[in-house]
Amino acid sequence: MSERRAVARASIAFLVATASAVGLGIVYARGGQPQIEGALLSVAFLAIGFGLITWAKHLLPQGPWAEHREHLPTPERDRQAFEADFERAGVLGRRPMLNRLLLLAGAAVAGALVVPLRSLGPRPSTSSLHTKWQGGRRLVTSDGTLVRASDVPVDGLVTVFPEGDPGSADGQTVLLRVGGDRLTPQPGRESWTPEGLVAFSKVCTHAGCPVGLYEASSHTLLCPCHQSAFDVLDSARPVTGPAAWPLPQLPLIIDADGYVASTGDFSAPVGPGWWKQ
Amino acid sequence: MFAALSFLVFGGTSRVSSATSADAMTTYLADCAVCHQADGSGSPRGPSLRDVGRASIDYMVTTGRMPLAEPTDRLERRKPRYTPDQQQALVDYVTGLSGGGPDIPTVDLATADVAAGGEDFREQCAACHAWSGTGGALLEREAPGLGAATPTQIAEAIRTGPGTMPVFGAAALDDQQLNNTTAFVDSLKHTDDRGGLPLAHIGPVTEGAIAIVVGLGLLLLGVRWIGTDR
Repeated sequence: MSERRAVARASIAFLVATASAVGLGIVYARGGQPQIEGALLSVAFLAIGFGLITWAKHLLPQGPWAEHREHLPTPERDRQAFEADFERAGVLGRRPMLNRLLLLAGAAVAGALVVPLRSLGPRPSTSSLHTKWQGGRRLVTSDGTLVRASDVPVDGLVTVFPEGDPGSADGQTVLLRVGGDRLTPQPGRESWTPEGLVAFSKVCTHAGCPVGLYEASSHTLLCPCHQSAFDVLDSARPVTGPAAWPLPQLPLIIDADGYVASTGDFSAPVGPGWWKQ
Repeated sequence: MFAALSFLVFGGTSRVSSATSADAMTTYLADCAVCHQADGSGSPRGPSLRDVGRASIDYMVTTGRMPLAEPTDRLERRKPRYTPDQQQALVDYVTGLSGGGPDIPTVDLATADVAAGGEDFREQCAACHAWSGTGGALLEREAPGLGAATPTQIAEAIRTGPGTMPVFGAAALDDQQLNNTTAFVDSLKHTDDRGGLPLAHIGPVTEGAIAIVVGLGLLLLGVRWIGTDR
């Protein structure tokens, strides 16, 4: 490309960039329109880049250049002096007390590393084995409203929390009503499902995602993250996907006022079951 | 849409329409009774329609999900088989077979709190229907997109749980929340897409694909142009 044409191209590019930037200011001042503003800004930047690269490719001298530097060896006299110093015997062995003190300091510092390790956080406790659910605690929705049994129709789905702790991560629970006496409770859980109401922890036992997808016709709870499926009729037994443990079940009761309440904590610790294995 | 609106306007159970109940009975016996029985009590081919309620019948008929040509066909939105008048008469007729079940919910988008409805949608609906109402995959089935549904059909589906969908009763969404959520779903039909290209509202998958293919592709061409062959 001739020098004149390159100059003309770069000049036009810079003028286009200027015009786009001015246009951006005008669009903004007249109320703004995000897509047009974005397009003008892009054109301005691209035009500046085009101009700079045209300038660099066609108007600046092109390499390659080699920059030569002189040879820099250490003079022979200096090298011999260093070797003589280094090879003098007993440089370190001459101070045995300092050596021992250095060892002592090293050991003390290594021992002191226990201190930051101890303050890494609270010690593992039993708090992850229990939730806020306990006997007599009623069910509320995320806005704190008590759940009336009569407001949950057959095939109904409600996300509930322990009363006084709406929105809690470990207390979140799916409350379902299964029609037609089709639940087959595990031995010992026969009284946990009054009027077909059944509740399971909403925290997947695989990776802790919210098990919020419910196929009412097949009575299957699905986890959106890794497609684990749980059979509601069979105590949330995992039927497919990576989850290996059933969802913990919450024992339910309908109290004298018609509200749904729990009679205790979940049947197992909620969430991924790493500590059980 | 007209059918849904006319229900709102007229309400009630007894009303005069150009399609008589005798016509509706003929339609029912011809198109529905083969699976649901003449008295609506159901058969192995189709469930009982007794006490399912006006909302459920109206939803199935106005969205074209019923009648199915074959009992094994997929339950999905189709062009409605009947005219709005015929739909209304058929809903009246089937509801009249038993009389129970939930009525068509009243929807008033003007008084709805769309933002609050969005909260409820994300808590209760988005798991299956996706944050933008485009639908999503389930186990061997899928949750449909919501773009074609009228406000009345949305409210009916929430309250009756058609197909594999669970039922959302008063404990999950009270009547005000039902109205809000319906209004939010309706608002998804005309979103203010600030980025210009919504890319079907699918989200990070399409956006990432376009960023990689188009964005990185243009960058590579730019690099090729800047560089020299030496």
